[in-house]
Order: sequence, then structure tokens, then C-alpha cells
Amino acid sequence: MLTLTKDRALALALLLIVAVMWVESGSIAPPTSWQPYGSALFPRILLVVIGVFSLLILVRSLLTKAPERAGAKQLIGEWFQSRRTILALFLLFGLYAALLPVVGYIAATIGFLVASLALLMGINTRRKWMINLTLSFTLAIVIFVVFRYGLNVWLP
Amino acid sequence: MTNFFLQALAEVGTPSVLGLIVIGVLFGIVGGSIPGFTVTMAILVVFPFTFAMDPVSGVSLMVGVFVGGYSGGIVSGVMLGIPGTPSSITTVYDGYPMAQKGEPGRALGIGVASSFLGTLISVAVLVFFGPLIASFSMNFRPWEITALIVFALTLVAGLSSGALLKGLMAAALGLLITTVGYDRNSNLRFDFGLPAMGSGFEILPVMIGIFAFSQLLGNIEKLKDEKSEAKKIDTNVTIPYGQILKDMTGQKLNTLRSSLIGSLVGALPGTGGTVANFLSYDQAKKFSRHPEEFGTGTPSGIVASEASNSAVAGGAFVPTLALGIPGDLPMAIMMGVLILHGITPGPMMFEQNPVLVGAIYASLLIGAVVMVLCNLLLVRWFAKISLIPQQILVPVVLMLCAIGAYALNNNLFDIWVLFIFGIIGYLLWKAEVPLTPLILGVVLGDNLERQLFRALELNESWMTFLTRPLSALFLALAVASILFSLYQDRKIQRLKNAALRENI
Repeated sequence: MLTLTKDRALALALLLIVAVMWVESGSIAPPTSWQPYGSALFPRILLVVIGVFSLLILVRSLLTKAPERAGAKQLIGEWFQSRRTILALFLLFGLYAALLPVVGYIAATIGFLVASLALLMGINTRRKWMINLTLSFTLAIVIFVVFRYGLNVWLP
Repeated sequence: MTNFFLQALAEVGTPSVLGLIVIGVLFGIVGGSIPGFTVTMAILVVFPFTFAMDPVSGVSLMVGVFVGGYSGGIVSGVMLGIPGTPSSITTVYDGYPMAQKGEPGRALGIGVASSFLGTLISVAVLVFFGPLIASFSMNFRPWEITALIVFALTLVAGLSSGALLKGLMAAALGLLITTVGYDRNSNLRFDFGLPAMGSGFEILPVMIGIFAFSQLLGNIEKLKDEKSEAKKIDTNVTIPYGQILKDMTGQKLNTLRSSLIGSLVGALPGTGGTVANFLSYDQAKKFSRHPEEFGTGTPSGIVASEASNSAVAGGAFVPTLALGIPGDLPMAIMMGVLILHGITPGPMMFEQNPVLVGAIYASLLIGAVVMVLCNLLLVRWFAKISLIPQQILVPVVLMLCAIGAYALNNNLFDIWVLFIFGIIGYLLWKAEVPLTPLILGVVLGDNLERQLFRALELNESWMTFLTRPLSALFLALAVASILFSLYQDRKIQRLKNAALRENI
């Protein structure tokens, strides 16, 4: 069975995107006598280019032998283990974006900073907590003041 | 020329703009001196603060960051032996040994002095060649501009990291991103039924998402691989001014050569500070009467590195301002900032906005002076700041990115755009896709489409691109650049295989 290497995953994902966008490009208004080339031509050229390059990447990755790897299950487990911090950080950021309009800038920002600093720095000593909390509170408020009063930008 | 320059000086010379340049330079130096932060990231973090400013203030602040950023690598390079930005890798080769021999002040002083001279010389290059190239490119019609953009994209794709296929694919992907939303004929494209997608993606959240997330999260991953312990460093530095003056007088030719190399490399698409400092270090070594001293702490090595990477700043502005085509990542972002302020960089800018062009010259010059003062007076602080751990830096910068994206239009959709493209950028980076061509594609996409169809509306034959000499030349260069990187790739692959065989 073929193993899924980085290149193969990339090529397959891109081909999927190209296919979806090609179908979607069908709903773009057709060319008229005023616009003989239409609006779909340019993205379609690009889709063909991306498609061709993805195929080339796929073919090239099939020609070179994939490195031998351990069983898939163990692999996924390991992957989650090593990328736990990154995944958590992405989740926190998503949560931050979602909470911004609900709880407002100050609360959401302090929440995000405290949580992500705790995630990255660790919470094993009192000193780390002190740095974390001081930094989160001052920074959130300083940025708020600079934007609202210095630059006249209203934050949510 | 002198007239608009004086007018620009008057605008830049106001206390508030001067203050902004100082803040920009300070922030740039800090950004440049923190390993893994880079000039590009410093620019990205600062740009939201320019939204509410007038163009001259905004651009001056950004130019300050630019000038400071390219010099900021000196501090961490000399004191820690870690290049603060990739563009100061060769600074470490001689700066660190010199500091280890007990002369950190001398190393810093030489670095700062050559940075300053490099910036000045590159501004001269910009002032001379910018208008020249702009007036030449005024004759470009849509065919030539289309071909030139294609050439710039293929060049960047081929040069970015020896992954030609992925680079070209990334450039096309970047162009594709700009087709979302209403187009020039007010036809809706790729909105997938979501009203928010109708206006398309703003360039800046897309750029920040793709660049910042991959870079910052990459830093975190690196952190795990190499648990480096905090080095104890002595931040107590005195600058021996007399010694530096003596060192610099012996380096006139080296300074000039390195600055010119830096300006030239900066002006070429797809290259930047990283290429400039390696190229110029190598040249300095070849021309030196004592090549064996390189790498042991010779002033020549520091001068070659720092003069060239600082000269990139001025050089990189040439194609951006004169042709509207940014050559590297920081410039692509700079161009995004200019567009945001309603200014379209390109040959017309010299006619329509001469004061702004003058303001860029003036802030580069003032920025260089401020940079010297800041570096010499505050070097201890910069050395301390450069020790900020990534664990603290990353959450703070992510938060600033989110606020920056939001402040653009007071629109929460832009934060989601940032987030989605952050994930896309991270995944592409993991798949070893070079991100610079992608970001360049995002910046140039709208213009490429507009020019391409203007050309076709003027003359419906696609052959016109090949029958007009200049456009044919640019397209031929595009093909040549692809063939060249194909050849390069093959060579690297052969070397790799040979190395593998030897190991077996």
C-alpha cells in the first residue's frame, strides 16, 4: 500500500481544491459581448496551472520511494503528541476570534494571553504566574488605550 | 527634483513624524535583534498602527522599522552569536569572534557604522535609479506589465528555496486567492454562498496569516527540538570610537563594494538581505589580501555583512516604487501598506505623488541617523531585550496580529481570514512549500488580471505578447529563469545523491 507522504498529501489536497473551485467557477457570470473574455477565464487559467503543478508533484512523489515508517495508528498518536502545543495554540486563537465580539476586546485578549502564555511557559512556579498575569493585563490595556485614544480605532 | 524633496523634508521634519521614525527605528532594531522575529514580522506588527495616520506619517514609520530592522541583527549577532535575522548570518562569523576576544564594543561600532553607510549609499542608488527606471517603464503598456509580473513571479518561485514546482504552484495559488469576491466587471466569483466573501479577502490579513503563523509556530517547534539554555552574557559594552574610526577608514572600498552589492541584490526580485550578506561576504573575502582572517573576527567581515544587508533597504525600494513590483517579502508587505493608504506604487507614483516618494527618501536618511544614535546609546538594552523568550513573544505577537487584522476595517471577518490563512500557511510550510511566491502572488494578482485583460481588450490576439519586443523579452526571461532553477535543482539533487551514496 502507498504511504501518504507530505508531497502526496499536498498534491491530493490541492487537486481537491482545484476540482471544487472549477465546479464553483461554473456559477460565475458568462462572457457577454461587452466582456468577451468573461470573469471566469483568469481563475480558470490559474486552476489549470495549479492542477498541472500538483499532478507533477504527485507524479514526482510516486517516482521516489517513500521512506519506511511505523504503523499508521502509532504515527497519528505520535503526531498528536508532538504537535499538541501547536494544535492547542490554533484552538486558542480560534476561540479568541470567536469570543472577541461576545465578551469584548479586553476580556477576550486577557483570556487569550493568559491561556497561551500558560500553555507555552508552563505553570509550575509562582514566578511564571506572576510574569504571565502582569504581562497579560498590562499589555491588553496598553494596546486598548493606544488604539482607542492614540489612533481612534474602536476595538470591540 | 530638489523642489519636491525639500517639500517632503518639510513634511517629514515635523516633530510628530520625526517621533514616529524614532519609534519605528527602535522597534525595528528590537525586532531585528530578537532571534526568530525578522524584519518582516516587525513590519507586520507595526502596520496596524498606521491605519489611522496620513500616508506620509504611516510610510515614515514603516521606513523607520525597515532601516532599524536591517541593522538590528548586529546586536544579537555580536553579543549572542545568534543571527537576529537571516540577513545577518555572516555578521556572526566575524562579529562574535571579535566580541569573544574582548572587543564587543568595537564589533558593534563597526557594524553600526557600516550599516549607516550602507543605507546612505543605497539611498543614493534609489534616488538615481528610481526615477530613471520609472521614466523608462512609463512606456510599458499592458503587455509589458503583464509579462514583467509573470517574470517577477517565476524568478521568485525559482529562487526562493530550490523547490521550483512548489514555488510556481505557490505563486499561482497566491494569484488565485485574489480572484475571490467581486471582480473588475462586478461579477461575483467564488463566494460559496457566503455574503462576507463577496468583497474578497483583504491583502493584509491574508499576508499576516500566511507569514506570521508559519513563522511563529515554527519557532515554537524549533524550541522543542533544541532546548537551548539561556546564555549568560555581559551586556556591559563601551564603544571605542577612535578605534572604529581607524577601522572604517581602512574599509572604504569594502564598504562601497558591499553597499553596491546590497543595493543591487535588493533591487532584484526574489532575493534580499540573506542573499546580499552571503554574496558580499564572499566577495570581500575574495578581494581581501588576508582571506584567512575571515571568520576569526576581522573588521572586513563585519563591514561586508552589515553594509550589504542595510543597503538592501534602499535597493529594494527601486522596483517597488518604479515598477510596482516588490522584490521580496518585506517589500511586498510595504506595498500592501502603500495600497492601503490609497497609493499605487508604480511609475505614475513619481509624477502623481512626488512628495511621498521624497518622504520615503527623507525617512530613509533620517532613519539611518536615528539608527546610529539608538544603536550606540541603547545597545545594552537591545542586548537584554533580544533575550526575550519565544514563549512570551509568540502569544503577544499573535494577539497583535489579530488586533491588526481587525483594526483594518473594524471587521471581525478579517480576523477569521487571518486565522484560516494562518492554518493554510502553516500546513503549506509543513509541506515545504515556499511562502514568498505565494505572498507575492497575493500582492500582484489584481494588477496582473487587470493588465492581462486590458491587453486582450486592446488587441484580442494572445500573440501580441510575443510580437512586442519588450514583452517577449520579459517572457523569455521568465522561461529562462525557470530553466535555470530547473538546472540548479538537478545539480543540488545530484550532489545529494552523491552524498547519500558515499554514506552507504
